[in-house]
Amino acid sequence: MTTEVEHAIEVENLKKLYGNLVAVDDISFNVRQGEVFAFLGPNGAGKTTTVEIVDTIRRPTSGKVRVLGMDVRKEKRDIVPRIGVLPQGFSSFDRITVRETMQYYSRLFCLRNADIDGLMDLVNLKDKAKEQYMKLSGGLKQRLGIAIALVNNPEVVFLDEPTTGLDPRARREVWEVLLGLKKEGKTVFLTTHYMEEAELLADTVAIISRGKIIAMDSPAQLIESNADNLVLTLHPVDEKAFEVVWKMGFEPVLNNHKNINVRVERTDDIRKILNALKDAGASLLSMDVRKPNLEQVFLKLTGEALNDGASGEKGVE
Amino acid sequence: MNLRVVGANLVVSIKIFYREKTAMFFTTTFPILLILVFGTIFMDRDKVSFNLCVQDLDQTETSAEIAKTLALTGKFKITRVDPAIDATQYAKNNKVNIVLIIPKDYERSYTQYLQFDDPNAFVTITYVYDPSSSSVVAKMQILDMVFARMNQGLSGKPSFVRTAEISIHTREYRFVEFFIPGIIAMAVMTASLFGTVNVNTELRQKGIIRKLSTTPITHTDWILSNILYQFILAVISTTAMLVVSYAVFDVKLRINAWLPLFIVLDVFTFVGIGMILTRIVKEAQSATAAANAIMFPMMFLSGSFFPLEMMPGFLQKFARTLPLYYVNEGLRASMVFNDNLTALSYSAIIGTFAAMVFIVGIMATKWEEGT
Ligand SMILES: Nc1ncnc2c1ncn2[C@@H]1O[C@H](COP(=O)(O)OP(=O)(O)O)[C@@H](O)[C@H]1O
Ligand SMILES: [Mg+2]
Repeated sequence: MTTEVEHAIEVENLKKLYGNLVAVDDISFNVRQGEVFAFLGPNGAGKTTTVEIVDTIRRPTSGKVRVLGMDVRKEKRDIVPRIGVLPQGFSSFDRITVRETMQYYSRLFCLRNADIDGLMDLVNLKDKAKEQYMKLSGGLKQRLGIAIALVNNPEVVFLDEPTTGLDPRARREVWEVLLGLKKEGKTVFLTTHYMEEAELLADTVAIISRGKIIAMDSPAQLIESNADNLVLTLHPVDEKAFEVVWKMGFEPVLNNHKNINVRVERTDDIRKILNALKDAGASLLSMDVRKPNLEQVFLKLTGEALNDGASGEKGVE
Repeated sequence: MNLRVVGANLVVSIKIFYREKTAMFFTTTFPILLILVFGTIFMDRDKVSFNLCVQDLDQTETSAEIAKTLALTGKFKITRVDPAIDATQYAKNNKVNIVLIIPKDYERSYTQYLQFDDPNAFVTITYVYDPSSSSVVAKMQILDMVFARMNQGLSGKPSFVRTAEISIHTREYRFVEFFIPGIIAMAVMTASLFGTVNVNTELRQKGIIRKLSTTPITHTDWILSNILYQFILAVISTTAMLVVSYAVFDVKLRINAWLPLFIVLDVFTFVGIGMILTRIVKEAQSATAAANAIMFPMMFLSGSFFPLEMMPGFLQKFARTLPLYYVNEGLRASMVFNDNLTALSYSAIIGTFAAMVFIVGIMATKWEEGT
């Protein structure tokens, strides 16, 4: 392992254009050796573009990107053996079994003694070793993808949305694998649009929206510095409640479960809102008050909801 | 170049081929079926012999001579019809398109003609025929010819103008033998073109290409393993086709170094075209459509199935612009006609073309997305 470089990844003024579209707009960040760094942002924010520039799949339009001290434009050949990549929406050869797939990738890295059994153990795939890829469930496919990303014992691991499209249980199983990596002290660059994922796994979270990093810190610090307010969540019966809150001058936001989130500054506001709802005859199924989490931090910073990509809903401002 | 990496790719490709039954079908079973079907249809093309029914009403030794003479031409297989039954009815009942009737008194008239030199002595041979049948005209023409010669022979003078048939080929080839090199060239083309297009578009859609670009595998390793894989498939299917041809049709073909050479050039040409197509056409479905658009004209217009002489002149000229033409004709030159000079010049032409397409194909293959 190289210890000369403090930062596993250094990005300076990175820009990426697709024709006229600015996908990544002049961003800079560093990832320390051994930390889990997460890009949190909605679909189309520029996460994949950035991560694929750093892991040498795409080329930057301008800016400086170094991985383990090496330039991604000029030293791809030297970088590749030392990193492991799980691309977004990874898939593999349908009719090749789990073990054969692992062997294939280990041969591509010219490794004679890759610890294939150990890796299959790590991602809990041992009893599926003889199963063909096409027969695996979504969660198993992703876990195989992670195992493949680790086959060359890389110093830096890139995971682009490792749990998107998985059901909650499969997602938790992937998280367990990732927590294992974190314990091992691997440097991990993760992208996600699930705030729980970032909150649970990341040492540093960069919030990215429309190609720009709008905040970057540890999850706790991000919440702390943006916790100047409370979040009232209402689960209304009908649409009346939304209007009532709106007319009072607050900024209600509909989230994906048809709940209404309202940012308030004082507990007194909560009492006022509840009274107004009662007067208007808008009944509630449930309500709760919370200190903000990363989801609300994102909401506060961008004015947009960090929705589940699949549902595609946007916040109402 | 890294042989371990190339080997790893080959192992995976061959496993997929073995486990994917449709790929197996199209590389081995399908060409064999083609050879069986077309081979059976055209088996008799080289030795034409017609069925001919003869009703001899005279039943004498002289009249029997006629049937013998007709059989000796080698053009007819003679079936005798009982003189007691009605020829027209017989033809209708047995779906026979021609019955030749030798009249009663044939021998008597013949003797009279020969011995007494009686110019009024003649016989009429009747054809009872079905004008709606397509082969009947050919049969009647041959019969007329045979009878004209007979008459000439009887008049005593040897004929002055005679014809002789000499084939330009030192050995008569059979149509099946002509046909097999075309099917080999075509089967290798199809497998290489579709194999390349399918593998590349599928891997791109699945994101495997992106994953591969983050491993040490190089373009050269990747392309080399594809070529090797396609060559292995080509060897398998060619062997299968040849085994069937020898076993079922008892063909006699020359198998020498030209065969693997033309197969290699066939593979390089169409893998190259496949690589270019995958670059130009992004969608998997349109890529397959584009491959079809290239394959079908090649198949039908380059002379894979039948001699080009059967086609109109402008199509013959057009065929010479198709790469598959040079593989077809080069393989035929070496396997059927033992014509090394033609094989050499055609291998040079297709070799140059293959090199060009392949280099363009390598340049067209790109792994990074965007710019
Ligand atoms: N290859 C590409 N060509 C053109 N536009 C692209 C390409 N890849 C991504 N984009 C656009 O760039 C923006 C950022 O996309 P992406 O990096 O995939 O975001 P994310 O991973 O955060 O969802 C989007 O608007 C997307 O449509
Ligand atoms: Mg993405």
